[in-house]
Amino acid sequence: MSFRYGLLALLSEAPRHGYQLKTDFEDRTGGSWAINIGQVYTTLQRLERDGLVEEADSDGDRHDYRITAAGREQLTDWFAAPVVPEGPPRDELTIKVLLAVAANDVDVTDILQRQRTASIEQLQAYTRRKAQAHPEKDMAFLLMLDALIFRTEAEIRWLDASEARIRHLARTKEGDNR
Amino acid sequence: MTAVVELQGVTRSFGKGHTEVVALQPIDLDVGAGEFVAIMGPSGSGKTTLLSLVGGLDRPTGGRVVVVGTDVGALDGRGLALLRRRTVGYVFQDLNLLPGLTAIENVSLPLELDGRPLRQARAAAAEVLAAVGLADFADRFPDDLSGGEQQRVAIARALVGDRKILLADEPTGALDSITGESVMRLLRRHCDDGGTVILVTHDAAHAAWADRVVFLRDGRIVDETRASGRAA
Repeated sequence: MSFRYGLLALLSEAPRHGYQLKTDFEDRTGGSWAINIGQVYTTLQRLERDGLVEEADSDGDRHDYRITAAGREQLTDWFAAPVVPEGPPRDELTIKVLLAVAANDVDVTDILQRQRTASIEQLQAYTRRKAQAHPEKDMAFLLMLDALIFRTEAEIRWLDASEARIRHLARTKEGDNR
Repeated sequence: MTAVVELQGVTRSFGKGHTEVVALQPIDLDVGAGEFVAIMGPSGSGKTTLLSLVGGLDRPTGGRVVVVGTDVGALDGRGLALLRRRTVGYVFQDLNLLPGLTAIENVSLPLELDGRPLRQARAAAAEVLAAVGLADFADRFPDDLSGGEQQRVAIARALVGDRKILLADEPTGALDSITGESVMRLLRRHCDDGGTVILVTHDAAHAAWADRVVFLRDGRIVDETRASGRAA
């Protein structure tokens, strides 16, 4: 995702200057996405070039930016468009398990269990942070933790399903050999 | 940490000879005071059997189950009943609330069975109901409560009488994730206050509230999470 929509979203509420945009964006995204100030300015320049933001009345040497009608339109389109995942999964875990299943001398169940333990430990760490968060003040942080938790949970469900499939196949083969 | 639940070489099998089914291989497990342990594993891995042994609902075929220093396998029926009324609370998957009794009557029942005077039992039940956030629901019948509220009543009933060890078997099965989470927060708080919880679940997000997650497969412990950074 491009950071430009982050800036447009903030500017759609009120004009802001560069440093404000950096800190507000980081707050909104629950601290999950750190931005350096240089990135903010290059993005603002590009948005200005494309006519999506413009400089508001300047107060001394501080430059406030505001969103234009074209910028608002692009932001509305972005919010309205669903996010479509890109292509088939190519993460290391999926590939590792697929290769392990095909390999002869690898204990896949063992690999799955080691991964399951590690994923649950990760889940415990997220949950501890969730337990300490304030339900109202830390809303963005909680939503982000939920996203991480559900993603990790999905990974664990996939591990469980993979193990069930492998065991089922092993039993079927055993039955055939009898 | 003092162990309040100890499983020493515990086995459980059903049937004999060539029809024998081994539900639990020799299991060793210690659970401490103030500890929250989750037990995970595929169906048929022995999770529920293990929990029933700790709760005195079943007896081991071999080995010893020791709860707060008492060998559960050596207790007679009366001893087991006392264990369940005074030491160990059990939350079942289907809750087992009595539909003809109000929330407070359900919760005070274990104390009444234990011979406490009615007024005293009701006062204690009201206190525990308030602690689980149900002070205003004491006179409702289970059918007039939501799934999450019924869950809380079942937990209150398991804790009343100052029972420190709570055993829960998939207590959040039918709940949506936010309601399920509030039940987990209750269990977490019980442990942070010095109580002990053993939770059987297939739900990783719920297990993650525990200090330690133990993985069971084919009746044996195959792995567990490292004890890391427990919220003190």
